[in-house]
Amino acid sequence: MKTVHFELLLGRKVHDPKGRRVGRILEVHAGPEGEDCVVREYLLGTAALLTRLGISAGRLVGLPLHREPVRVPWDLMDISDPERPRLRCSVEELKRGK
Amino acid sequence: MPREKGLPDDLELARDILDQQVVDREETKMGRVDGLVLELREGRPPRIDHIEMGAVVLARRLSPRLERWVDGWRRRFGVRKVARYKAPWSAVLELTSYHLKLDVAALDTPTFDWERWLRDHVIQHIPRPLKGHGEKEEKQE
Amino acid sequence: MKKAATLALGILTSVGGFFDVGNLATAAQAGGVFRLQLLWPLLLGTILVIFLIEMSGRFAAVTRQALPDAIRTHLGFAAWLGPFLILSLVHFLVLGAEIGGICFALHLVTGLPVPFWALPVAALTWLFLWRTSFSAIENSTSLLGLITLAFVVAAWQHRPPTSQILAGMLPTLPHHDPARYWFIAVSLLGAVITPYMLYFYSSGAVEDKWDESYIGVNRGVSVIGMGFGSLISVGAIVVAAVVLAPRGIQADDYHQAALVLTTAFPFWGFVLFAAAMGIACLGAATEVALSMAYTTAQTYGWNWGEDLDPREDARFCLVYTGAILASSLLILFGVDPLKLTLLTMAVNAAVLPFVAIPFLLLMNDRKLLKEHCNGWISNAVTLLVVVLSIVLAVVSIPLLIRGGS
Repeated sequence: MKTVHFELLLGRKVHDPKGRRVGRILEVHAGPEGEDCVVREYLLGTAALLTRLGISAGRLVGLPLHREPVRVPWDLMDISDPERPRLRCSVEELKRGK
Repeated sequence: MPREKGLPDDLELARDILDQQVVDREETKMGRVDGLVLELREGRPPRIDHIEMGAVVLARRLSPRLERWVDGWRRRFGVRKVARYKAPWSAVLELTSYHLKLDVAALDTPTFDWERWLRDHVIQHIPRPLKGHGEKEEKQE
Repeated sequence: MKKAATLALGILTSVGGFFDVGNLATAAQAGGVFRLQLLWPLLLGTILVIFLIEMSGRFAAVTRQALPDAIRTHLGFAAWLGPFLILSLVHFLVLGAEIGGICFALHLVTGLPVPFWALPVAALTWLFLWRTSFSAIENSTSLLGLITLAFVVAAWQHRPPTSQILAGMLPTLPHHDPARYWFIAVSLLGAVITPYMLYFYSSGAVEDKWDESYIGVNRGVSVIGMGFGSLISVGAIVVAAVVLAPRGIQADDYHQAALVLTTAFPFWGFVLFAAAMGIACLGAATEVALSMAYTTAQTYGWNWGEDLDPREDARFCLVYTGAILASSLLILFGVDPLKLTLLTMAVNAAVLPFVAIPFLLLMNDRKLLKEHCNGWISNAVTLLVVVLSIVLAVVSIPLLIRGGS
């Protein structure tokens, strides 16, 4: 059984197959599937930190920090090496996919 | 889908699970979720396999060298025989904003090794005050 | 009706528990060296601490979580580790200073040297924590701590000129010794906005099982309790200004500070000072030791609670035991208690960014606090604390070297 420690994955930089930086893994959304709890999507980028804390930018006295985090569905991420998580498609394909 | 267990439908791993307070069946505090292990599967989304608790798990998050140092200390001077306590995800009864409840009794797990040791070797010998839950300690004996 | 009683008790314990060795040492120096000129850091610090304490209590009442618990859970271990280590150091220093205060008070009435009292005082403080429940500790030390109102009474008796008091509440530049002036100003702030108090207050609210219905009580306690509590510090500065400064006594030693009540209370002044100092410091020592234990236990998720039998939270008890013993060694090995206190107060001010920033993030978390999130005023004040504390952190290090003598 191949396993990965989530706490070591958190905060890692993610690159696409062309080697370009996409962002950092700052949160992972999961949900029930039968008896299990499975990963649904990954949230990348600095804005995700604020999302994680549930803060909306307006509350922090007008600081322009709130940007939509990049959402990556589970099947487009390769996390078999937790120190080097990889996007399976290119950044453009990801943005187009939205 | 009916849910017997108190698990929300939409979970955020870092926010809701990692570093969360872990409690046992009786809501006794056991420790925190120091680590979370995912199982990778071919063609299917990764699933949560188990949570991990222990000083070495915490140390590893800071650096591998620190983990080795902490583990070495535990082997030589520590009381815990098992470095990492692993609780399968199926043992999770409930997850709220302030705790994650496991279907275990804290005293049966390695997380309470130090508590037990201190109780048996130190506190036993000091006259105790009359505060606290006297009946609870008898239940746990 | 029960809420009214809680409010009254909360106010009394805040007033009685406000004054500690830090307030005493900084007030004596401020009054002795600069008379009434340094009332403004006290006023500023009081306003800021009222907001911070109110937020701390509101947070605990709404989420039923104490701050260290919430910071690790919601911001993560990596974010909490730095503040946690720094806070632990600060706890250690403050505890040493408070124990030093109790030892000095005992030295005043018995003549036996200060280091002699270090271990007995440590044992007394430990025994108090071991045997007593949370509310019993809080109520006894804080209600007895009302004896510190003696400073207010003495100040009143001296009839200080109102114009000078009002002038002192506005920031002014020093006429002499600027390094020392700013050092004492920073220390005064650090003595009022003590990091451990914020954490302790939130843990105490959880121990007292506060819920959302206590938000009003919390507001009353923070505003009235802290407000009146700071009057005691004002009283201390006034008596130091009136009694010490004209005689050129700069309160470089606790023995000099001990003279402040002797003019207003010729017969009892000395003893009253010792009693006020001893009781205030004992109350504070128990709080700091508990705060250290709460913070450590919550960080690692151990069982905690002063109302629990030690058999149920052995590690929690181990922390306060170890903390008391370790910090008493500072006094045992002859560290000057007044110098330790002044240094610690400056450090308190310097580490405020580590306290205020995580706090600011949590107080704006809608998911946690729902409609009890910070309003713009509370946010503005907290941001002010963050900015001010970063400035203080940068400024206080050279000041420590130059002004601390």
